Amino acid sequence: MSKKLTVIPELCSGCSICELVCSIRHFGVNNPKKSAIRVLTTYPHPVLRMPIVCSQCKTPSCAQVCPTDALRWIDGVVHLDEENCTSCYKCVEACPFGAIYAHEDCDLPIICDMCSGDPECVKKCPKGALRLIPEAALGEAKRLNNVLSYTQMKEIEYYEKGEKKIIHYAEIGKEEL
Amino acid sequence: MSLQSGYFKKHLHIVLSEGSDERLPLEDAFLEKYIGGRGFGAKLVWDNLRKRKFNIDPLDPENLLVVAPGPLSGVYLPASGKTSFVTISPATGLYGDSSIGGSFGVELRQTGIDVLSVTGRAPELSVIFIDNNETTIIPMPELKGKSCLEAEGLIKERLGTHAVHIAVIGVAGENMVKFACVNADWGRNAGRTGIGAVMGAKNLKAIVVRGQKDIPVYDITSLVAETEKACKYLEEHKYFKMWQQEGLMNVIEYANEKGILPAYNFKDSVFTKHDQINGATMLSHYKIGDSACFSCPMCCSNICLVKNGKYTGTVVEGPEYESCAMLGPNLGIDNFAAILSANRLCDELGMDTISTGNIVGAVIEGYEKGILSLTDLDGREITWGDEDAILDLIQRIAYREGIGDILANGARHIIDKWPEMDKIILQVKGLEQSAYDSRPSISMGLAYATSDIGAHHTRAWTIAKEMEEGQDWSDDEKVDTVIYHQKLRPLFDMLGVCRLPWIELGLSERHYENFYKYVTGKEATLEQLLELSNDVYDLTRLINVRLGISRKDDSLPHKVWANPPLTGPNAGRVIDREDFQKLLSLYYRKRGWDEDGMPPAGIEKKFED
Repeated sequence: MSKKLTVIPELCSGCSICELVCSIRHFGVNNPKKSAIRVLTTYPHPVLRMPIVCSQCKTPSCAQVCPTDALRWIDGVVHLDEENCTSCYKCVEACPFGAIYAHEDCDLPIICDMCSGDPECVKKCPKGALRLIPEAALGEAKRLNNVLSYTQMKEIEYYEKGEKKIIHYAEIGKEEL
Repeated sequence: MSLQSGYFKKHLHIVLSEGSDERLPLEDAFLEKYIGGRGFGAKLVWDNLRKRKFNIDPLDPENLLVVAPGPLSGVYLPASGKTSFVTISPATGLYGDSSIGGSFGVELRQTGIDVLSVTGRAPELSVIFIDNNETTIIPMPELKGKSCLEAEGLIKERLGTHAVHIAVIGVAGENMVKFACVNADWGRNAGRTGIGAVMGAKNLKAIVVRGQKDIPVYDITSLVAETEKACKYLEEHKYFKMWQQEGLMNVIEYANEKGILPAYNFKDSVFTKHDQINGATMLSHYKIGDSACFSCPMCCSNICLVKNGKYTGTVVEGPEYESCAMLGPNLGIDNFAAILSANRLCDELGMDTISTGNIVGAVIEGYEKGILSLTDLDGREITWGDEDAILDLIQRIAYREGIGDILANGARHIIDKWPEMDKIILQVKGLEQSAYDSRPSISMGLAYATSDIGAHHTRAWTIAKEMEEGQDWSDDEKVDTVIYHQKLRPLFDMLGVCRLPWIELGLSERHYENFYKYVTGKEATLEQLLELSNDVYDLTRLINVRLGISRKDDSLPHKVWANPPLTGPNAGRVIDREDFQKLLSLYYRKRGWDEDGMPPAGIEKKFED
């Protein structure tokens, strides 16, 4: 599979529809806490809505720490071998993006399986913040993100109840999310 | 079929003075009859009132505070993030509720409860933490005096997690300002009727929730199909993109064009500099992102940043129409950055933007007319558009400094203190009026006069329809439209969803009959659901009647009869008192209430169990 799921945080409104459709498709339940994608919101400095989902790394950190070799990158998707998984959740902690999730009702870690190549979240996102793009086009969102961050000021001073504070806007672009 | 799903059938009751919490079972009959949201709230508040022989001060710790999402809250359907806060309002002394969007109510449901009620007073400033099945009351006196936003951050730090949702009060709530609100998700508010003051009176700084449970849905396959149909309709609507981009800010232009935009404390109903504060200005200079309530494709909320000038760095979730109109044109402010700053200040202090805008506007006009002296104003002059003086006054209200101490007690108290202010301030039953001028629309006047919480547009908003197609409506049509709105709009609050997909983009209300069916498994037609909503309207009327209101209270502000807008398309128009009384009588008859606005004798039996 040559397509990648990518995120454009500037477009995300934080509506959580991606979380809902993911839980309905994979677990048949209405529960945003049982999804492989979550929107993280920070406010007010900086303001950011960031859907966090598996990047399908070719050298996955999650697979490297898996003691039973239950996680493997095959054809562009990190597969979880349910038979071999011992639910130690080392992968959840190892993922540098925090993109693998745990839920007390579930026996296994929750990780994106790309919905067999046609992700529900991409189809249902009302803002086009989630996209399925060719691998070669990866980074376009990030490039846009960076350019957008320069349209803000890099650093500004402001006063809040008479107290001087500073915001560093350029840091939005620097974050390794 | 009877009720199959859709509820946890649990009511969490917390007594702060005893530090106790209990999960009580809920009977099917209760769930079917009151549905959720304000339905649950009205019933629980009614029971509490009966127990206390209808003798309760809103700021008494024994005044029950109910937080109730609905059976559709958190479910995959358009805009399902609504939760109602219900209590006896400090602003009006009557039934009061206010709903909040965002995700707070969804997370509350996921802790496995359908409704939360809180009574008593904590010995010191505390936070309720509902973590799935566990409930703890945590004293956090260090939060005293903290702004809503700062407190939300500090609570997350103290609990060591960002993955919680928090409904919090600011200084205004702690100081029991009678129009203090409850703030959640960094800047969404249950704004009206002074719910924040009720939390303040309970020494309750915040309600923190973290839930993991599945939200019960009876038939998820049919639900998804119905939702896809509804979403497809919305996304294909010609104004959908405009809603995503401008959200409620698009109403500024509309209201100005129609002559219903409050300007200079409703002295006028158009604003000459409307193009400096409208949606287009926001988009080109201030907006940096969208914000949506849970499961809403419309994302009508905006996030704005001031990038230069005196207010540089101000970030705010909003503004929406009401906040912008009440803190902008209504105060003569034509600088959008200043409006953002005032909105942010209200968010931090935890104070309702609509009431604040009304009261500050009334103070400016009162001073202009000589009703208030410079001494009354603590020697600080205030005029239209004076940003510094206005921001200063807003702060003094929240901290109850000088004149702020009187203003903080709301419209009624202000009129008691300065009777002439009755002619200046726009309020019904003690609640300051929303940002739609009713003078050119008698049906909107009727809506304000008969709203169970006071002059708010939440129950009925007929103004757009009357302005566009109802200029030659018969009295029957006017009254019928108001009553239909008063059934349908509260039904959305009972179900726990937002009404905007219906009212703004015309999503058929028939969808909700299906949503209800697929979530609960219970067959009910829209008409049956509307009847249940109507019963709750009778109940809130009953509460208000038992607390002392009658026909004379279903009235309108002085200006609506006596002072027409000065310019614009509706210059010279007022509502005629006799026309209004005629309409009110017709309204009572159609509702089955008597000439004095009393519901039929024996109706109490309906709400006994």
